Amino acid sequence: MQASQTVLERRYAALGLLLIAPTVLVFCAVIVYPLVSAIYLSLFSIFTPTLQGEWVGLDNYRTLLAKDEFWSSLVNNLIWTVGTLTLQILLGVGMALVLHQNIWFRSLARSLILFPYFISTVVAVLVWKWLFNDLYGILNHLMLAVGMIDMPVDYLGTMPNAMISVILVGAWKFFPFVVIAVLARLQTIPDALYEAARIDGAGPIARFFDVTLPQLRDVLVVIIMLRAIWDFKEFDMIYLLTGGGPITSTQTLPLLVYKEAFALNQMGMAAAYAVVMMLIMLVFMIVYIRRTRQEADT
Amino acid sequence: MAAVNFDKVVKSFGAFTAVHGLDLAIDEGEFVSLLGPSGCGKTTTLRMLAGLEFPTSGEISIGDRVVNDLAPGERDIAMVFQSYALYPHMTVAQNIAYPLKKRGVPKSERGAMVQKTAELLQLTELLSRKPRQLSGGQQQRVALGRALVRDPKVFLLDEPLSNLDAKLRGYMRVELVELHRRLGRTMVYVTHDQLEAMTMSDRIAVMEGGRLQQFAPPTEVYRAPANRFVAGFIGTPAMNLIDGEIRQSGGTWQFHAPGLTLDCPPLLDSARPGPACLGIRPEGVVFGSGPIEGVVQVVEQTGHENIVVARIGADMRLTGRVGAERVWQAGETVRCGIDIDRAHIFAAGAAGERLNRPGLRPVEAPAVIKAAR
Repeated sequence: MQASQTVLERRYAALGLLLIAPTVLVFCAVIVYPLVSAIYLSLFSIFTPTLQGEWVGLDNYRTLLAKDEFWSSLVNNLIWTVGTLTLQILLGVGMALVLHQNIWFRSLARSLILFPYFISTVVAVLVWKWLFNDLYGILNHLMLAVGMIDMPVDYLGTMPNAMISVILVGAWKFFPFVVIAVLARLQTIPDALYEAARIDGAGPIARFFDVTLPQLRDVLVVIIMLRAIWDFKEFDMIYLLTGGGPITSTQTLPLLVYKEAFALNQMGMAAAYAVVMMLIMLVFMIVYIRRTRQEADT
Repeated sequence: MAAVNFDKVVKSFGAFTAVHGLDLAIDEGEFVSLLGPSGCGKTTTLRMLAGLEFPTSGEISIGDRVVNDLAPGERDIAMVFQSYALYPHMTVAQNIAYPLKKRGVPKSERGAMVQKTAELLQLTELLSRKPRQLSGGQQQRVALGRALVRDPKVFLLDEPLSNLDAKLRGYMRVELVELHRRLGRTMVYVTHDQLEAMTMSDRIAVMEGGRLQQFAPPTEVYRAPANRFVAGFIGTPAMNLIDGEIRQSGGTWQFHAPGLTLDCPPLLDSARPGPACLGIRPEGVVFGSGPIEGVVQVVEQTGHENIVVARIGADMRLTGRVGAERVWQAGETVRCGIDIDRAHIFAAGAAGERLNRPGLRPVEAPAVIKAAR
């Protein structure tokens, strides 16, 4: 009996290996190899067009840490991430609460709200650039019309306008993700909890803080972690909107990596920046993994 | 502590009317069960009393105050939900203290009140735990604690025992009755479980199709059901209901069904000859002797008694409750009779009202069984 069980167990194990093998292979090819390769490249000084290089050890890292541009980009990166993420969460939770109510056209509104998230970044940025345009943009036009400003505002060419604009567009583009996740959680909060709170004498605000928010806490932690990682490495939106400008005022680390690799042709240096970025995001990832593990345990 | 009064209360959801002109007067300190099958309007009634639903018309009052326009939190009620609805992120102590906190009871007093409630419900050891760390029965007690701590005028309980296993349910029934006796508060209890309603209530309000069918003490509901619905709904196994007609010959009333003629129990003056229904509880059916011949179909042995289902004629079934000492076999021919003093006559139709005079006491002496094939 014992022996046959073991044979069966072995057969299951073999099947398991067979089923998991394709995923592991693909994972190695597209994640592990590039990761190891990036770390390896960061130890060389490489000229991008020829990919010729020489071993420099940790020199790239020494140079990088001594560079003002790295630190200013890191600060920009943090300002962008914290700014846009905060707005995304506030907007997302607020909108999810509205869409959770029995309002007219709720289904339509729920579909429309996803629009910014689904639209291509290039298209979205082009539209926003026109909206922001200081000569023809509707934003300036409207603000002039109602007398809020006397002169057109340069939204993308001066500071702090450029950073604020990038943060706002980022919030607009990505808050629907928060809406979907929060809305999904809101729908699972039992009505009885709200009813119990009403009978216990809790008003609408108390019900939000004592029932809704605690119930959203777990999903919010996951959303914040995921969106922090995704926003931290956001490239295309910022690159297309400001190109990191004016000068380097909105240049974040991903833009710096791109600049090093393809404008300055320093692939090794770019790899070193990328590795440092990865280490910073590792902190977020560890928190996220710990969090999900805790949830799995409870 | 306060009386509760429903005055011509109607509740409609769009075209559907869940409660039709309900009149119900619950006395101060009474334990009343709202009993009925799913969709009978009992939960809607309770929710209207709680302020979670608004009546379409009519008045609801608690004590001498009409509460129609009061929010749930202003009605001075407490409610125990079927799902317990404990706040999952709060500890047991915080859950119990929550209604006090929301009503501005100073923190210094809250602790003592929570402690007192916890002692009453044997929750002292669990005060620092979260709801998910508790068993179903413990969660149930916390939900009760949250209701008790504030000493409200009326307790509302919405099927609070239905998520517990049978043994715990039996235990909690006794606990609740004991609690009601000790507190003397008005309690309104919603259930679809007739055993709970019968064992715990001072009075039962039987509901069906959004209408009150009968509002009476458990014994009366059992022994003198107001209509055919109540007769069929209350009692396990259910009352035998035999369709036929009543005829008057001379001064006596007789009930006729295919293959069955019986003298009726004393009827009300309002009784008129015509289609009717005879109701007899399984304990009113005599097996082993009597003028009716049947064939045993099913025997359910419960240990202390047997439930015997016999087929009479082509399509009539008679269920009887008999002693466990005699073992009946399926297929066996059996003679049976009906104890007419325990029988009821109802008007025709699903909710036909009772036509016989109420006889609340079971008849001690063996009744004369008159039946003919």
